[in-house]
Amino acid sequence: MLDTGLVLYSAAFGLILIGIAGIVLSAHLVRIIFGVALLEAGANLLLLLATWREGASAPIIVAGRVPEFMADPVPQALVLTAIVIGVGILALALSLALRVQRAYGTLDMHEVRQRMEQEIADQAGIDMPASSHAPAAVQAARQEGSA
Amino acid sequence: MNQLALLVALPLITAFLLPVINRVSTFAARWTGPLVLVITSAIGISFWPQLGDSAVAIELGGFRPPLGITLYADKMALLFALATSIGTLLLWPSRGEDKLRQSTLALILAGSGSGLALSGDLFNIYVFYELVAVVSYGLIAARSTAGSFAATVRYLIVSSFGAALALTGIALVYQATGTLNLAQLSQLAPTHLNNLQGLAAFVLMLIGFGVKAELFPVNTWVPEVYATAPTRISGLLAGVVSKLALLIIVRLLVLIFHQPEALTVMLVLGILGVVTGELAAWRARDFNRMIAFSSIGQLGIMFIAFSIPGEAGVFAGLAVALHHLVVKPAMFLLAERWQGSLANLAGAARTSPLGAALFILLALSLIGVPPLPGFWAKLLVMINLVAQENSLYMLGAWVIMGGAALEANYLFRVASSFYHRTDEQTPPAAHRPGDLATASLLGAGLVASAFLIMPLADEIEGVASQAADKNHYVQTVNPEQLP
Repeated sequence: MLDTGLVLYSAAFGLILIGIAGIVLSAHLVRIIFGVALLEAGANLLLLLATWREGASAPIIVAGRVPEFMADPVPQALVLTAIVIGVGILALALSLALRVQRAYGTLDMHEVRQRMEQEIADQAGIDMPASSHAPAAVQAARQEGSA
Repeated sequence: MNQLALLVALPLITAFLLPVINRVSTFAARWTGPLVLVITSAIGISFWPQLGDSAVAIELGGFRPPLGITLYADKMALLFALATSIGTLLLWPSRGEDKLRQSTLALILAGSGSGLALSGDLFNIYVFYELVAVVSYGLIAARSTAGSFAATVRYLIVSSFGAALALTGIALVYQATGTLNLAQLSQLAPTHLNNLQGLAAFVLMLIGFGVKAELFPVNTWVPEVYATAPTRISGLLAGVVSKLALLIIVRLLVLIFHQPEALTVMLVLGILGVVTGELAAWRARDFNRMIAFSSIGQLGIMFIAFSIPGEAGVFAGLAVALHHLVVKPAMFLLAERWQGSLANLAGAARTSPLGAALFILLALSLIGVPPLPGFWAKLLVMINLVAQENSLYMLGAWVIMGGAALEANYLFRVASSFYHRTDEQTPPAAHRPGDLATASLLGAGLVASAFLIMPLADEIEGVASQAADKNHYVQTVNPEQLP
């Protein structure tokens, strides 16, 4: 028999790790946003598990009978708040992603960042700061573009 | 006593009523926001003398802690709640097309920022922190350019990442102690959180709340956001909101996390912040990003200062934070007309002599030139760093010195170009009177505090000693449970 607690804790930390990996490794904006959602889900699950006990009942007094073994209601109320905040931010993030897609025609964050840096540089009236890490081909293409 | 809750409630209620007021009269809607902030500032200021030596805890709805939600107001919390109201008032987003939406968001920022400063409960801190974050996304994207949307979405990702980490940290704390009330946590911490789990929780919360405080690894958003957002909003974020996040971290350190490793982590991240921020500012070639990177460096100094153990660290950090709180918004107000390449600023002193003079004053104080308050704040940090007699703290002192040298170099490169005479290019336009008046007000405050430095230092020391006294916090919130 697998221990339920072990499964739940592994799920929480797994979600957190998958979320962080998604944010750090993905280039596609929507995938990054889903990474954020997974990370939040993992954090919420961990918060729920903070006082979870196997077999505990909800802390509700039914017909004057007080359950013997009750779960702590505080984290559950907190997670409800955190989920609502998370959904709101998810909607905001997706709507911003839509605006970015309309403006730049892409959701690839490397490209979006490049275009944004270019826009900031153009507005400021300075050259794009050429990164020494950029491959020679990229730098050459940039010089061609500006010429 | 309960009137302090108005600092949070009044701006929030007004924000949601604003669209209704706007239907009746646009004129009224335009002036309601600033009026409410004047009222909340007045409430805060009138409360200051009452506060005296003992802090005040307010039980919302009359429920006793730990069940009820507590607002805790000591001098430090009130100071930053006041700074939020006054700062939002001074940097009121007066321009742009969508005035109604911006006024609403600015009011929510003022209300939730005050709430963040006054909260005595870990989960409320999280909720207010998210509220501040969501509102700032709306304010940053106000220019509605493609670049501002891209910068906002990148900021949103970093910020939500940080908030989720902070929530994970809160979960770890709750798992160990079963409470979220800061006073109760402070009593339970020595037995329950003085271990690896406590340290992990602190690091998660440090990184999480550090996003807004421009902490080293999670500050990638700073240059992009400050370059694309309206300059007043950048000033508000760099000047006020970053200090609120810092306040939370200081509270956590004073009340809950006493491990020496926690201070070391913060010290190292602060040192890295100063090094990267100042070097990037030195290399920047446009005005906005130069002051954005310089603010990363300045906040790094604050992290170094707060990592000094005990009351001395809180005193030194508070001095640097208050100095930055005045200087950086003024800097961003000047940036309104000077954004763009530094090369275009030649001859700016001809069109805006007062602006150029103000910039030099602010720059001198940022670098830390003697009579100005910036010098005393940095001196305090240096003395306390050296007094630690520890090689890592010494490294911090050296890094701050090196950072000051770099600051002097890049700020004076700009200042001297103001006085260049060039015939081939036109100098930038003069500042708007409104921006210049606000910046002058902040500059005048800086000069005045240079003359009043001794009484001011005594006052700040009083604030710091109250904030650093953990037993005072516990007794104020929970008088029956004496340790």
